[in-house]
Amino acid sequence: MRFELIDRVIDRDDQHLIAVKCVSSAEEYLADHFPGFAVLPGVMMLEAMVQAGRALLSDRMGDDPLVLTDVRNVRYGNMVRPGQCLTVRVKLRKQDADGWDLEGSGSVEDQVAVQGRFRLTPLCAAMDRTDV
Amino acid sequence: MRWIWIDRILELEHARRCVAIKNVSLAEEMVHDHFPAAGNRPATPVMPNTLIIEGMAQTAGILVGHANDFREKVILAKISRATFHDVARPGFCLRFEALIDRIDSNGASTSGSVTLLDPADDKQSKLADIELLFSHIDKNMSGLAFPEHNFVFGQQFKDVLRQSGFDSP
Amino acid sequence: MTVTQEEVFDKVRDVLVDALGADEEEIVSDAKLVSDLGAESIDFLDIVFRLEKAFGIKIEQGEMIPDNVLQDSQYIQDGKVTDTGMTELRARLPHADLDEFDASRDVEEFSDIFTVNTVVKFVQSKLGDQ
Repeated sequence: MRFELIDRVIDRDDQHLIAVKCVSSAEEYLADHFPGFAVLPGVMMLEAMVQAGRALLSDRMGDDPLVLTDVRNVRYGNMVRPGQCLTVRVKLRKQDADGWDLEGSGSVEDQVAVQGRFRLTPLCAAMDRTDV
Repeated sequence: MRWIWIDRILELEHARRCVAIKNVSLAEEMVHDHFPAAGNRPATPVMPNTLIIEGMAQTAGILVGHANDFREKVILAKISRATFHDVARPGFCLRFEALIDRIDSNGASTSGSVTLLDPADDKQSKLADIELLFSHIDKNMSGLAFPEHNFVFGQQFKDVLRQSGFDSP
Repeated sequence: MTVTQEEVFDKVRDVLVDALGADEEEIVSDAKLVSDLGAESIDFLDIVFRLEKAFGIKIEQGEMIPDNVLQDSQYIQDGKVTDTGMTELRARLPHADLDEFDASRDVEEFSDIFTVNTVVKFVQSKLGDQ
């Protein structure tokens, strides 16, 4: 199994990106979440937003990959099931010397499954955030 | 990839506190995609922080479920806040400590910390602080279709509890 | 020790900043929790938990925000709250300003009843009861 949570980028500009994550029963971990009632785990929806954020910022980063360092108010709504596609939207809110603040959401046919804010930081900087 | 992000439960205090650990290993598939070699950078395997949040959600979720004898379907409804101070590489161990802040018939709020343990020298450091909100979905999600039986606490969780020396439902 | 109105507002503001991820400046008295501050239904549970902790009070289910009125056919007809419904709401929500809602009684606008001020007044009435 690959840890790829974005299948296609549909649209983008400097501040926004829209991508799609298609949920398939072929994803092995779904057999455990939950047996007999597969739903995309909430943290995988967050990971989809994180990977969309990385894709948005790919032209701005160096070799250092971006990691998730902060999450704020990520709320879950509808459940997402195999056979459904999650449309992931991310928007750049602001950037500073240490990283990028983004806002994201995921929906299935206009029903919101996830929304919230998060921060991406280059890996080297993420490894020593004892002052945070 | 299996969906179990804790290896062993060390402590479980009814309706108060749960402590669990997870080893991070190169044998796990996801670290090879996170991150592979690119440009001038060699492969840098690191445990994704979203899966560390899931480890805390499983630790806290078991604590919240246990508080009501696993009668409620306990679902992660909100990540109120997560702050990471470091990353976890293979060959290190994670220690999750979850505390219940409030619990009632609708759900529960939990707070907790993740500690990074180095087996080479037993050094410990703070990895993350994570606050979560769980919903008892039988009370809160009428209109959404889900099974009547408690699909949340299945065999995998029961096995972890039992193998850790705790009674399982 | 009596808590002043300003202290209640400050603590409610901190609760809403934590629960909704809003900026402090956005938490003004007439800000609507849903339309202005983006609150979702799970956030209301979070707000109740944080208010209980911040003020040392116990809030029963449906006490701050009545959760069953919109489901009761006695109170709702054709998407509008009936006279019986309005009487019930006034009895259940003494801390809310219902005059503006009374003009439309539209179920879609129900959540706009709940502003920052509604929460402040609710907490004050709970503290007054102690």
